[in-house]
Amino acid sequence: MTTAPLNPVPFLAPPELERPTDGREVDPSLGLLQGEGAAQRVRTPEPHPGRLVPHVEADARALTYYGLPVLQQPVWIWTIPTYLFVGGMAGAASALGAASLVAGGPTLERLENRCRALGLAGDLAGSVLLIADLGRPERFLNMLRVFRPTSPMSMGSWILALSGAANTAGFLLGSRSGPLGAVGRMGIAAGGGLGALLAGYTGVLLANTAVPLWQAARRELPVLFVGSGMASAGAVLELFSDSGASRKLTHWYGSAGKAVALGAMLAMQRSAPGAPRITEPLRTGATGLLWRAGLVLTAAGLVASGLGNRSRARERLAAGLTLAGALATRFAVFHAGKRSARDPRATFEGQRAGMGAAELSRPPDPKPAVFKLPVMR
Amino acid sequence: MAAAKGFFTDTSLCIGCKACEVACKQWNQLPADGLHFSGNSYDNTGHLGASTWRHVAFVEQTLPEALGTVEPQGAGNGSSFGMRWLMESDVCKHCQRAGCLEACPTGAIVRTEFDSVYVQPDVCNGCGYCVVACPFGVIDRRDDDGRAWKCTLCYDRLADGLTPACAKHCPTESIQFGDVEELRIRAERRLDQLQARGVEGARLYGQDARNQPGTGGLNAFFLLLDRPEVYNLPPDPVVPTAKGRESWTFAGIAAAGMFLTAMAGALLARGRSLR
Repeated sequence: MTTAPLNPVPFLAPPELERPTDGREVDPSLGLLQGEGAAQRVRTPEPHPGRLVPHVEADARALTYYGLPVLQQPVWIWTIPTYLFVGGMAGAASALGAASLVAGGPTLERLENRCRALGLAGDLAGSVLLIADLGRPERFLNMLRVFRPTSPMSMGSWILALSGAANTAGFLLGSRSGPLGAVGRMGIAAGGGLGALLAGYTGVLLANTAVPLWQAARRELPVLFVGSGMASAGAVLELFSDSGASRKLTHWYGSAGKAVALGAMLAMQRSAPGAPRITEPLRTGATGLLWRAGLVLTAAGLVASGLGNRSRARERLAAGLTLAGALATRFAVFHAGKRSARDPRATFEGQRAGMGAAELSRPPDPKPAVFKLPVMR
Repeated sequence: MAAAKGFFTDTSLCIGCKACEVACKQWNQLPADGLHFSGNSYDNTGHLGASTWRHVAFVEQTLPEALGTVEPQGAGNGSSFGMRWLMESDVCKHCQRAGCLEACPTGAIVRTEFDSVYVQPDVCNGCGYCVVACPFGVIDRRDDDGRAWKCTLCYDRLADGLTPACAKHCPTESIQFGDVEELRIRAERRLDQLQARGVEGARLYGQDARNQPGTGGLNAFFLLLDRPEVYNLPPDPVVPTAKGRESWTFAGIAAAGMFLTAMAGALLARGRSLR
């Protein structure tokens, strides 16, 4: 925004008044800055008036408050949808690796090694992406300060941290012999279970919000992310040349994921029959295009990988299409959710159509939630 | 624990002076929002935010426009000369089931001895999950600060036995502060009074769990003169956690499905390789 002097008559004002101030107007030599908001850091004294921008067409505004959003829109940046992709892929790879170790036997050893590396790399990259999004990245360890079952963000932090630890143990020790090797193989097995949760919790993370689209799709989102995670893990593994049993296993795993993801996407489009404004971002505009791109690319990936004899080239093409589809789907879900949060009518019409507290079979316990577990200091 | 404290904001008394906005900014030493012109009546604030913990909404409508879509209910709801003016001072609701509190992964958001919901700025790491968890769009993360902020119910003033700054400065007692139990009784009495005078549109918003099951009732509740949407309040808000269990169930089933698919595939692959 503008940094032009606010005072139109500069020669009458001392120079310090010409600069836009943070508005606190407290001279530190005369007054104390000790209020509840005094520690709020200001780098931009004239922030963008985003709150004053209407998000509803003029003709529909009378139903709303000047078309202004009722909810805050998510503050998350591109790293979050990227994490949803990376975390899902890593989780699905860990699960496949653990299954190969437990049930597969020696023929799947190479596949299992690749899954191990993919799972660990994904956990590490995912952590970096999540920390990059924090407003205070240096405080990322506060995520493990409490264990809060009501918060999917808290549960996810624990799942990611434990999965990272298990996968690290598995990666470093899994191939050794003796007791250390046993610890490593336990790590791989635990990492597999945690990986399955890692791929699924991200759906709950988005669903457990006031964002109309995500809340309406609370049943479909975890299924979509699990399926899409399996598809991406399969696709990445297919990019490496493999043969025989592990090639067939990867293909089976990825195809199952693609089919599940497609089913969940089609279901998600119908998740708010009573209030079409909620799912409108999936149909119109840039978010609608992105969503359809995700749908078409995933379907194309499923068709291209097909059945029967597949050439390497066709396999790689299918893998590329699948990965692009999974990434497009995550970004589409993310930005469509943001759009539905900006649209006050999505909230109003959804709740008037019975999608607020009315659809609960049992209202939430009105007592404030009490967390008895100790806080780690 | 002391008795639950809260606000009863009676919008039928609000004159739109914004003394609450100013008092809040001054007492809490909050930074300015910048000089922006919205063109929306006298509301250049727009919405609650990280640096705006009180916001006065101005609903200025010519009656045919208002009648066309959101029909003003009853007489006496702030209308005269073919116009209607509704004003409402919005604030954090300090819900019994607070979405932000239940979503906070760091434990930065706590419930105080006054039953209010408080964000500890020295703990918050700015993950932004409370921002999407609030069904009222109250709490927000300030970009250049990196942390989430909202009304504290003047926690520092309450600790010293003082009234929160906004209620103290309200010249018409539109914002009333006190024990929630007592405020509820006062609100019911005021509602009866208004209805007896023919203000049919008057209604309470969120005074208890019966009125607003999704949040278990608000410690800062309102008397409105029209439907909540008119004031940019959600008509049937719900704490997202109430629907989270269903989502977790589906995530659990999907995760189990993933693991079983992998196991079945691995067993089949082994079977083929043995043959």
